[in-house]
Amino acid sequence: MTERIDQGIFAGLKVLDFTWAAAGPIVTKQFSDNGAEVIKIESKTHPDSVRLGGPFFEAKPGINRSGFFADFNSSKKSVAVDMRSDEGRDLVRRLVSWADIVADNFRPGVLTRWGLGHDVLQEINPRAILLSSSLYGEDGPWATLAGFGAQGAAVAGIHGLTGWPDLPPALPKGAYTDSVSPRYAMAAVTAALIHRERTGHGQRIELSQVETTVGILAAQLLQWQLTGREPVRSANREPGRRLHAVLPCAGEDNWIAVDVRTDAEWRGLCDVLARLGGVDLAAKLSAVEAIARAEEVEELVAGVTAGADRFELMDRLQEAGVPAGVVLKGSDLLADPRLRSRGHFWALDHAEMGTLDYNGPAYRFEKTPSRLTSAAPLIGEHTDEVMREVLGLDDDTIARLRADGVLQ
Amino acid sequence: MPTAQAEEGALAGCRVLEISHLAAAVAGKVLADLGADVVKIEPRGGEPARTAEPAHVDGGGQRHGLNFLAFNLGKRSVTLDLDSEAGREILARLARTADIVLVDWERIGDPAEADRLREICTRDNPALVWCEIWPYGRGEHESTLATELTLQAQGGHLNLNGEIDRPPVRISAPVATAQSGAEAASAALMAYYHAVRTGEGQRVDVSVQACVVWTLLNTTMTWQCLAVDEVRGGSVKKERGNTFFTRLVWPCRDGFIQFGPVGGGGGAVREQSYATLVDWMRQEGHYRPILEAHDWNGQGRFDIPQQAYDEVTEAIGDFIRTRTLAELIEHGMKRRILLAPVYSIPQLLAAEQLVARNFFRRVEDDRRDATALHPGPFAVLSRTPLAAPRPAPVTGADTVRVLAELGFTGDDIDRLAAAEAV
Repeated sequence: MTERIDQGIFAGLKVLDFTWAAAGPIVTKQFSDNGAEVIKIESKTHPDSVRLGGPFFEAKPGINRSGFFADFNSSKKSVAVDMRSDEGRDLVRRLVSWADIVADNFRPGVLTRWGLGHDVLQEINPRAILLSSSLYGEDGPWATLAGFGAQGAAVAGIHGLTGWPDLPPALPKGAYTDSVSPRYAMAAVTAALIHRERTGHGQRIELSQVETTVGILAAQLLQWQLTGREPVRSANREPGRRLHAVLPCAGEDNWIAVDVRTDAEWRGLCDVLARLGGVDLAAKLSAVEAIARAEEVEELVAGVTAGADRFELMDRLQEAGVPAGVVLKGSDLLADPRLRSRGHFWALDHAEMGTLDYNGPAYRFEKTPSRLTSAAPLIGEHTDEVMREVLGLDDDTIARLRADGVLQ
Repeated sequence: MPTAQAEEGALAGCRVLEISHLAAAVAGKVLADLGADVVKIEPRGGEPARTAEPAHVDGGGQRHGLNFLAFNLGKRSVTLDLDSEAGREILARLARTADIVLVDWERIGDPAEADRLREICTRDNPALVWCEIWPYGRGEHESTLATELTLQAQGGHLNLNGEIDRPPVRISAPVATAQSGAEAASAALMAYYHAVRTGEGQRVDVSVQACVVWTLLNTTMTWQCLAVDEVRGGSVKKERGNTFFTRLVWPCRDGFIQFGPVGGGGGAVREQSYATLVDWMRQEGHYRPILEAHDWNGQGRFDIPQQAYDEVTEAIGDFIRTRTLAELIEHGMKRRILLAPVYSIPQLLAAEQLVARNFFRRVEDDRRDATALHPGPFAVLSRTPLAAPRPAPVTGADTVRVLAELGFTGDDIDRLAAAEAV
């Protein structure tokens, strides 16, 4: 019993992972961090491109030094194999027979060019669940266009809703479709696993990262169609709120977000401000007046918060019943007591990057805890191990394949 | 080989109870799309989300929350007074037939209330998956007050949006809440997979803050690798831990595009994209030597001075400003230049690719004057297609039917209704 619990929900499940960049690896990470054996297929000539993108550890570029790559690839194995060679493709086909799940996020057509289209994969392994996640989907005029999540976020409408109304759209942090689509992909694959558990049937799953992201803007689409009011970027202003703002705090570029929805919250805010800076906001404005005079309220409140320590202010507002949150920076996140108390970060040791804190999942299972078992793999770190233990190749064969450049 | 004949939804036979405001409703919609029977448990008169702002007002003056209309397609509704003894007893009976329960903090309010309801639901059903969504998850900080704005801040995302000389800004939509709902759907299904195989149910809890942290992609690693806190920029920023600024949102003749021509990351695809851009500019008489003065996307990109980046940005910007969105899509994007249109919501509804894929689906909801296009299926499952959308249920529309399924007689139901339990 204890052993099973330690292994996680997907213990025993096998995932063949062709994914790269972010949108795909974040999906397969949910499997590896929950006990599945995930084998990532790469090659030294065509590594996961994120290995070539910063931040590099200690600012020294290197194929095994990208923190960007590391975070999405915990608990996985890496096999480096030349997919352009017949023998390389044959080895990969044998891994398809081994797998329960085969995942990719190439542009449509790339796997087919390697002779590994979904039809072929299904024939090799009809019980497998095949996930293809691409930016624009597998058909349509844009299907084969290149693009990353930053392009996806622009097309999906996220950029247009970010920033100041008097300025061009601001780039939203992160390649936004890369964080939305994995959650939907994971739901689809897990549902397919449940279906397979009941029927024995595998199936193909195709998903567009842009479409999943448009899905979370469903209410904005309805607003435009039903009310004729176009949803637009409105900085931090929200109609109907007594205060809905990001306010300065003491120190450099320090901010706090405060959202005052009710009269009780307004009274709490007034109390905290009176104690902090001797400003009697309640005497100047009623809660109802505040709604109509957002700019004035923000200016008055900012005058007080600008001298306050941001973390102390959050505590005081919380105690007064006001929803408030410090605007956390990267370094703040790593020290954040709320994330820390949840065990959000896993310290994992890596041969070239030392011990770094990796992001763990946003969910917690009461009885089958997730566990990040190892840091991101070096490229090809597990080539020999997988050839020997999964495909049963002997050492001589492995040595020959290495000499021929099939294995790397 | 099995035939390709379509079967039922992947989650056919799975029953989900949902006690929600927004986050759990988003989760419930994912499960309904996948074929589960999702039953909303609402108070008499309907859950607060039904009339929450932003809202659409129908011809009869009735308000309908837009998030409610958007995220409750394909579900059933049962009204139940969870404060009454009889109401809780019906919940326990209903939970015996359920596989997953979804709840969120905006509806439940108090973690202790979640525990009380959970105790009722799991008493006779040890295989039940009980999934909760809280701003900071369950545990030490479960009662910290939070809203969409404060959560975008506490997850580290808000800090990185907007102009450097103004306060940082949110995304103007409840994306943190929605993302936590999608995350909860996948986590609940993982636990359900375990329950199907072992008969063991459990509690799953999701932290909205942690979901927002996962939208950053590299911010915590940038700090650890470089001891650098990323800084925001509006349309010009330091991309992916870069030490220099580059422009990423560009004005064109009739709108904006997203485009990162220089500064690397993305390997060969990005280098090819840049080469194609330079060719295009040359053909159109916009060539300037600065375009090829450095290897803008190579490993040496960190050694190029900011002034050079500014100069190449000016050259590229002057060119883009002369083009329309349509030209940039046809002659840029479709020739593998890594750019994309920045779509407004109205433009999104007419987007060439989405229209060609028949992504948007018309949902008839004349009762609320709310017939409109909704986002279509989030994925195509070859054997178990996603459910066709049905409009959000009327309050309590399925109470009698669901109670009858549980074995309550017509007399029982009349008695419960008289006691205001249903």
